[in-house]
Amino acid sequence: MAKPKTDPLSRLPLTPAVFHVLLALADGERHGYAIMQEVGATTDGQIKMGPGTLYGTIKRLLESQLIEESDERPDPHLDDERRRYYRLTGVGEQVVRAEARRYADMAALARGKKLIGKAALVAQPGGV
Amino acid sequence: MKPNALDREFGMSQTIYGLLLRAYPPRHRAQYGAAMAQLFRDQCRDAWNESQTWGLCKLWLRILPDLACTSILERLAALRERKTMTEKLASLSAFRSTPAAIFAAVFVVVFLVVFTIGVAITFILPESYASTARIKVEMTQENSVGGASVNRVFSDPYFIQTTLEIMQSQLVLSNVIARLDLNTQWGRKYFNGETLKTTETMGILKQRMQLATVKNTKLITITVYSDDKNEAAVIANEIAASYRDYRANSEIYLRTQGLAVLLRECQTQEAQIHAAQSEVESLRQQLNIAKDATASQSAQEQPYWDKQRDLSQLRELHTLLCAKLEAKKLDAEMPQNNLVQLVDPAEPGRAPVKPNKTLNIVLGAVAGGFLGLIGGGFALLIAAQVGKRMTATPIAGGSGASGTSGMALHLNASPKASGFGVLFYGIGLALFLLGIALDFLTSVQPGTLLIGLSAAVLLTTALRMGHVKRW
Repeated sequence: MAKPKTDPLSRLPLTPAVFHVLLALADGERHGYAIMQEVGATTDGQIKMGPGTLYGTIKRLLESQLIEESDERPDPHLDDERRRYYRLTGVGEQVVRAEARRYADMAALARGKKLIGKAALVAQPGGV
Repeated sequence: MKPNALDREFGMSQTIYGLLLRAYPPRHRAQYGAAMAQLFRDQCRDAWNESQTWGLCKLWLRILPDLACTSILERLAALRERKTMTEKLASLSAFRSTPAAIFAAVFVVVFLVVFTIGVAITFILPESYASTARIKVEMTQENSVGGASVNRVFSDPYFIQTTLEIMQSQLVLSNVIARLDLNTQWGRKYFNGETLKTTETMGILKQRMQLATVKNTKLITITVYSDDKNEAAVIANEIAASYRDYRANSEIYLRTQGLAVLLRECQTQEAQIHAAQSEVESLRQQLNIAKDATASQSAQEQPYWDKQRDLSQLRELHTLLCAKLEAKKLDAEMPQNNLVQLVDPAEPGRAPVKPNKTLNIVLGAVAGGFLGLIGGGFALLIAAQVGKRMTATPIAGGSGASGTSGMALHLNASPKASGFGVLFYGIGLALFLLGIALDFLTSVQPGTLLIGLSAAVLLTTALRMGHVKRW
């Protein structure tokens, strides 16, 4: 298992799949299907993750301790008990914040060069 | 769809996906296999709610590349985690230790390769639109000589066949090429701006057009295929117009020639009448016959009356000839477009007719299954032969079936490693057959390339397995 790195910046940049999964977990813990739906919804259906990509990403995130499995169930009566829930770790939250800031800095740079406007930023689905 | 049919489709998809999960390393499968299967079930449900069977097809088209890529990545990651080459090879071939597993592994890999190639080719092939024009053709008619104008149709059993051949001939197509300036247009479009020769353009045009008759009618359909739907319609209509012009011109030419012959004949007859009149007049004066005299039985006057009768017949014939000449002149002045009528002009097609994506994907799946069966069977045969050889001649430095230490760098050093070669034999054979099929069916370069690639895979495997000695 990979040794967790303490400095969040050392893990950047994240791959798009990893970033989207971490973003999906930023609101709270979710199971695989919910993560996939959240990614699809926030990207307006442009990114559709298959099971292989999703669980490959989850595996790497678990190994690098950016997320962890959760034993709790938001509502055990309404959900399938076999589903596995994941949530961000403290490090994971730092990393996703750092990556979001990096995106924001790049967006500000692009805006400064008049490549995009404020409206374009707001209109982008899943935009940071 | 009935619920049981729905369940069947779901069940089949899940069973297939469950089998395909075996492409992942055992450890990954143990950890995430169930969750992946559950996620796939959820996606199946969403896809079905979205657009039923087509939704499931689209999901599979998305899932298969994902599965192929991520399974390879996971296998490579699993290899990196291990320490020795022995463990790596053992890991690769661990799931192929039984005949059923060997067959399943080869089948799945071959199926995936063939199916993916089929899908890729389907989506790479350029789209082609078809437009069809329909014309009605009439045989040449000739008015009969006489008072009443009766149409007499020449019965030519080869008329339609001749028409089809003429429509594909230079007489018609060269006009189409010239009017649409296809030499320049297609040269610019397909040959980097180089202007084509008319014969070259005609070759391309013939490949893109299709003529057919409508049974028990005088209708002919002209279908043209093109990557531009408007161009297909324009060319189809132009072929119809060009053929109509050809027929009209031919008819005018024939009638003009007929008129000239009739006119000459008329002039000849007029000269003959004139000569006969002179002769009759001369005889009348010699024999002292009155101008208004009626025919008599006198032997002396007989030559005069004979000549007079010949003259009358000549005048009658001349009258008929003049009448025919007038009728022909009238015919020649009438428009000749009724010989060919454009019944249905071609319209731009709404959707491409080629490639037929659904059919190609289904054929890809069938071909994948068929080649997978052949590849799997072949792999079993090889595996059986390898097993026999290993039983007969144990390899020095290892214990054959169980030995893994210090000898497994050669693929023929352990039965597990042999499974690796068997897999490649199966894949190589399947690719070889697919290459031959592609070569025959499509005459495209990928077929030849695939044959070369598969031959290289087979030869390399044979060398590595020791079935062929190095020269």
